[in-house]
Amino acid sequence: MNGVLAVFYREYLIRRTSPMWLFFDMLLPLLYLLLFGVGLNKAMGAGLEIAGSSVNYNEFFLAGVLAMSCFGSATNQSYGFFIDRDNGIFYEFLTYPLTRGQFLLGKILFQCIMSVVQCALTIAAGVLLLEVAVQWEFLPFVFVGVMIGTAGWFFFLAIFAFLIRRNDTYNTVINVAYFVLIFLSSMFYPLEKVPSWLKAVSYINPLTWLTDGLRWFVIGLGDPSIVLLESALFSVFLLGSFWFALKALQKAV
Amino acid sequence: MIQKQFAIEVNNLVKEFRQKNRTIRAVDGVSFQVRRGEIFGLLGPNGAGKSTTIKILTTLIPPTGGTASVLGYDVVSNPLDVRKQICVVVQENAIELYLSVRNNFQTFGRFHGLTAKEIDQRSARVSELFGLKEFLDHKGIDLSGGLKRRVQVAKMFMVDKPMVFLDEATTGMDTFNKRATIDAIKEESRKGRTIVLTTHMLDEAEQLCDSLAIVNHGKVIAHGSIDKVKSMGLQLLYVNLEFKKVTKEILRNIHASRPMKVDVRDSSVEVTVRDEQHALKVLTSAKRNRTLQHFEINSASLEDVFVELVDKKERPAS
Repeated sequence: MNGVLAVFYREYLIRRTSPMWLFFDMLLPLLYLLLFGVGLNKAMGAGLEIAGSSVNYNEFFLAGVLAMSCFGSATNQSYGFFIDRDNGIFYEFLTYPLTRGQFLLGKILFQCIMSVVQCALTIAAGVLLLEVAVQWEFLPFVFVGVMIGTAGWFFFLAIFAFLIRRNDTYNTVINVAYFVLIFLSSMFYPLEKVPSWLKAVSYINPLTWLTDGLRWFVIGLGDPSIVLLESALFSVFLLGSFWFALKALQKAV
Repeated sequence: MIQKQFAIEVNNLVKEFRQKNRTIRAVDGVSFQVRRGEIFGLLGPNGAGKSTTIKILTTLIPPTGGTASVLGYDVVSNPLDVRKQICVVVQENAIELYLSVRNNFQTFGRFHGLTAKEIDQRSARVSELFGLKEFLDHKGIDLSGGLKRRVQVAKMFMVDKPMVFLDEATTGMDTFNKRATIDAIKEESRKGRTIVLTTHMLDEAEQLCDSLAIVNHGKVIAHGSIDKVKSMGLQLLYVNLEFKKVTKEILRNIHASRPMKVDVRDSSVEVTVRDEQHALKVLTSAKRNRTLQHFEINSASLEDVFVELVDKKERPAS
């Protein structure tokens, strides 16, 4: 546990030195909600009819923003491996008295806490500014979901960060993947209304599983049996990614 | 628990890398031992396999074959136990660029289980030792290359791990800091820590090491104490002669004693000979000339032996 806390302390010190991360980790998702979400909500007018329920776009999109911030946080944190590699400190870390698993867990523990803070801010903005009706009794589950979401994506992206040596290649891969993943998911629109091929592809996307789970806990929208299955699938994705990230870390030197 | 005599035991170590459909054998059956409390040098030309061997011993990469243990712990089956015994100056500059030197010490101390009080005490000591006191609040990114390396090396002396690996530790340091680092290494060795270092500076290795291994093309070509390794090269001696004036007759007499090499510079002549007998012949012939003012005999340096041993392996067999 000391090893995990040491990594956590190091991440805290690094973040403390630069306020820029506040913009990317905290404000960017809020801007998405307050600019894109509000704009589309107004444009759509009557809102969305999903599985017999009627929701406005702000309510629908809130969980999408939370899932998006999980992915964004994970991307920023995984990019840190390139900075550490350029500084040479990455190699020194691997000689410290901690396991590779503790190294990864320490990195993600800090980022998970940041994700929870970001999630609280986004939900507060949704409730106070956009009058979204949140299921307060499920808020702890939303926080847990956000942490699991951030961790899952972090471990997944870490695999590529360890295997790809060039940060420009990594940037390209991640940007393309991000673009494809967010539009092939339930983040921006309900999958009931999209073409069947897009729907089929979207349901094998872990971002859909995460978004649907968060949406059910935040506003109670969705089929509980499907959400349960998607949560189980995301857990498998998380554990599988962690295992592969560990393997990739062994080959990262 | 009975302590084993050797801090490091390496047996037939192999490391292969796959590169564009071919296999490169960076370490090719390397074997050596390092005694507890000694300073051990791993020397060799660029690409010889030194750093790869260090990477295996510090658990950064697994070997393809063979075995290696550090303080009794196998690097493959007990990597965490190995890491608990070691601290490492990696070949790359390794410093947190966005943290101050003080914060660099703090994070390093935390990783190695030091308390806040211990970190304060020890960072004060190492910053004094390595002349870093005035830079404690400077960020890594604002330091020169030499200072960054100094911070990296200084961190290693904050913790009391029994085993220290220094991969080209003094690279980029100025003479004063190099000397401070060498003194610190000697001091730590006196305290009983085992130190393994790689360096290109053979005078540094000769000054520091109790024993060493020379590797080339992934194989150990010499291993043992400095004297033993030196004896594996040619028994070269350098006879330096100082005359009032170097004449043709003097040179003719020196050449008559069949030296390996004669270098003339102004009034001095450096004669390279194979052994003591030839050195005596040169001296006798030089003494015939009454203008000889001074002479000196030096044995071959580690660098001479290193060049000779590596060079011999490079030359095709005739």
